[in-house]
Amino acid sequence: MVNLVSQRAVDSLFHAFFALTDIRAILRSTAPAHELNESEQERVRVLLEEMGRQLGVLKEELLR
Amino acid sequence: MRCTGRIETRQVEELYINIDPIQAGGRLTSDAMKAIIAYGDGYSVCDHCRKPFRLDFIKTPPVDQFHRELATFLNMDIARVVPGARRGFQAIAGAYVGRGDPVLLTALSHYTEFLAVEAVGGMPLEIAKSTSGHITADAAADKIEEVKSVYGRNPSLLFIDHFDYQFGNEHEVKGVAKVAHQYDIPVLYNGAYSVGILPVDGKELGVDFVVGSGHKSMASPAPSGVLATTSERANEVLRTTASRGDVTGRTFGIKEVEMMGCTLMGVTLMGMMASFPTVRDRVKRWSRELEMGEIVVQALRSIEGTRILSEYPRKHTLTRVDTRESFDIIAQKHKKKGYFLSSALKDRGIVGLIPGATKVWKFNTYGLSERQVQHLADAFVEIAEENGLAVSR
Repeated sequence: MVNLVSQRAVDSLFHAFFALTDIRAILRSTAPAHELNESEQERVRVLLEEMGRQLGVLKEELLR
Repeated sequence: MRCTGRIETRQVEELYINIDPIQAGGRLTSDAMKAIIAYGDGYSVCDHCRKPFRLDFIKTPPVDQFHRELATFLNMDIARVVPGARRGFQAIAGAYVGRGDPVLLTALSHYTEFLAVEAVGGMPLEIAKSTSGHITADAAADKIEEVKSVYGRNPSLLFIDHFDYQFGNEHEVKGVAKVAHQYDIPVLYNGAYSVGILPVDGKELGVDFVVGSGHKSMASPAPSGVLATTSERANEVLRTTASRGDVTGRTFGIKEVEMMGCTLMGVTLMGMMASFPTVRDRVKRWSRELEMGEIVVQALRSIEGTRILSEYPRKHTLTRVDTRESFDIIAQKHKKKGYFLSSALKDRGIVGLIPGATKVWKFNTYGLSERQVQHLADAFVEIAEENGLAVSR
């Protein structure tokens, strides 16, 4: 039986994609100037932190 | 920047305000983008397809539930997903139109309605529009009588667009359907510019079929769409196969003939499904979308010589405008000729106007934020003033 040890890595990959997608949506809704208001900036901050966490997991899982 | 090989990365929506009249309602939600990332492979929704092996029975992901929700959303009995509204037209025409049959369309019908009739050998005939640019019940009645008198029979089907693609005008769907039914003519409602952006109630409108476009108005990838019908009509347009191979004796279960079996089997369906909760909710905010559109319409009307060719007050966010007596006069002397307007808009981060268009053109404000709408309205006024056109503020 295959041991699905990489499930965590695959989940992280998608979480990272999804966080980036939410940032993409903010770029769209604020085009063309991309002058983000406070709540939009806070949202981007949270999403970038999430991205960083997920990239950390990918490093842990794939660069062992 | 390239995605890969020779394919440029499309960044239009990230970098600009896009006012292209046909693209506004099809812009994806972030949920749809996420689903697309996960379901890009060809037959990705088929992992858990089990007997009776048909798309609308798949439980994981919940495709079966989505079909029921689509029907409820449109207040019809049964719904199917189709590869674009045009394939919905084609399926219905395939079920009702025979070779040489007269079929009623309108003077504002989309070309794909003509093609759907032509494909099955039908004869497309147009209901004239009124001087105000509307399709009325009276005009439909007149045309039906004319068809009866010339061809000796009723049209076999009638297409009516709720809002047309040329002006974004609203037409008398309910009245037209009532007249058609007096002659036992089935009515196909073309909701390419309504289903997914404003509330649509098929039963209230009294139509037999509601066809919508996923990529035009349901925040979905192309080609996608919906065909919904009543339980009375379902057996006709959604008939199941009776074919049997004469050599092999094979049969093909309950595949639906006009659907050509399964329709959207991957990324298109998942995009539709992922956007659906947002779409179902956003139709309730249609009046706000109209208010946003009005800001731009007012800005354009303030520019001397500019006329709104669509019905006014506006009932849709797609608007046709005549600038032959304003921006086109500038174009005649400008060094960039007709390209000056699209160029000046692009300089302000706005795209979607056909490059070179300064005479009669269309735009759509659907889905833009208030900031974006204000930016757009200001841009038109600024460009007018910079080029010496009078603006009444």
